[in-house]
Amino acid sequence: MKVSWKPYILTLIVLLIGFPFIFMVLLSFSSSWRFPDILPGYFGLKNWVTILGSETGLLQSFIISVVISLSVGMVSTFSGFLISRAVFYHKRRRILTLFAYFPYVLAPVVFGACLSFFFLKIGLFGNVTGVIVAQFLVAFPYALIFFGSFWNKKIKSYEDLVATLGGTPRQTFFKVLLPLAKSMLLICFFQTFLISWFEYGLTSIIGVGKVQTLTIKVFLFIKEANYYYGALSCCLLIFPPVVLLYFNKRYVFKNLV
Amino acid sequence: MFLEVQNIVKSFNNEHVVKELDFSLDAHKTLSILGKSGCGKTTMLKIIAGLVEPDSGTISLKGENITHMRPEKRNIVYLYQEDLLFPHLNAFENISFGLRLKKIPEPQIKEKVNHIIASLELHGQATKMPTQLSGGQRQRVSFGRAIITNPSLLLLDEPFGSLDAGTRQRMQSLFKKLTQEYDITSLFVTHDLKEAVLMGDEIGYMRAGMLQVYKNKQDFINDPDTGVQEEIEYWKSLKG
Repeated sequence: MKVSWKPYILTLIVLLIGFPFIFMVLLSFSSSWRFPDILPGYFGLKNWVTILGSETGLLQSFIISVVISLSVGMVSTFSGFLISRAVFYHKRRRILTLFAYFPYVLAPVVFGACLSFFFLKIGLFGNVTGVIVAQFLVAFPYALIFFGSFWNKKIKSYEDLVATLGGTPRQTFFKVLLPLAKSMLLICFFQTFLISWFEYGLTSIIGVGKVQTLTIKVFLFIKEANYYYGALSCCLLIFPPVVLLYFNKRYVFKNLV
Repeated sequence: MFLEVQNIVKSFNNEHVVKELDFSLDAHKTLSILGKSGCGKTTMLKIIAGLVEPDSGTISLKGENITHMRPEKRNIVYLYQEDLLFPHLNAFENISFGLRLKKIPEPQIKEKVNHIIASLELHGQATKMPTQLSGGQRQRVSFGRAIITNPSLLLLDEPFGSLDAGTRQRMQSLFKKLTQEYDITSLFVTHDLKEAVLMGDEIGYMRAGMLQVYKNKQDFINDPDTGVQEEIEYWKSLKG
């Protein structure tokens, strides 16, 4: 009888992919785990309880990160959708689209350094608003490029048809364009939320340590060699993307199939 | 005259697409417009619908100058070759779309849509989504969506171009029936000779941006440029 290795190989791959995540969760419940101990000195909810306390500032960082990412995700998705339409109908749409790639030509740290002078002048340095604006400058071009594929001759025909049926541009937007773009809007929001959620370079320069998002916090804990709090903040860091992934799978991809 | 188009000119990048367009149409009549691809038929319809601004000339509908009026104010519906049903709405909601834009009361919407569904022979299809309908049914829903708003003028741009021969024939008969039932005035653009003769009360032939409207069908048949004579000769030669 021929032995099939496929299930064993698949299990091994799943274990290899899953292990870092499982280990991270275990680490977030541990402390005093020194080499060569096989088990940690403490295993319990102590680290997680500290989230509620002000000692580590994790809860505050989590709330700031959620506020920043939701703002960046929503504003860049809607403005990207609206402005991509204007770009599509513009005579020089190719050159305008090319400009949208500019923030990605530079490394985030270099881009942040370029922006810092202007942010300092207009008082957006070292505060949450400044970080939102800086991250928007990265997420918005992404949304603009993303929605470039939505606008085409067929969408233009829909717009024209609604106009001849007596619809105003406002009615066309709310009754036709938004429903047609619903899935793409949700995907774009998800992507721009993630761009903002995991942003480090730009945030560290514009936030100058005063705006401590969860990503900044993770790096701080790792620099301090505090792996337990690092793992804990990583758990918090992957929680919102997992929730968004679930909603995307349930409501967006289901409609696309 | 119900519709009067005078000296309409339109160019794109120095290319004259429509030249000195001049014709008129009585109410409740259909003018078939025949022409080869790229002769300016679609541009002409879009100018009349208000979707493209002409370089010069005037368009009057029921005695009112509508040349620079916004498309949503003209009460002229433009139908594409593609049915363009809204994929997020079922057949009933697609048909009622224009009425909802005009904020017509719900009981009236239901009554009108149910009546038109019966006229279009779409019984039992009202709750179906566009993907669940056949090509002919989709085109009928598209017609219903246009007719229900009671447009002053209906512009049809090769509406049956994508249908198979059988469905096309049924749609032609249905369209003839609907134009009488709802007193429709329309411009019917096609590149099919037989369809142009069948559908139009009057026939026009468009070449290189210029439209010639014939006084009667005999004049159209006798004009060697329209290709009718060639067609007749071809069928005669087959007969032997």
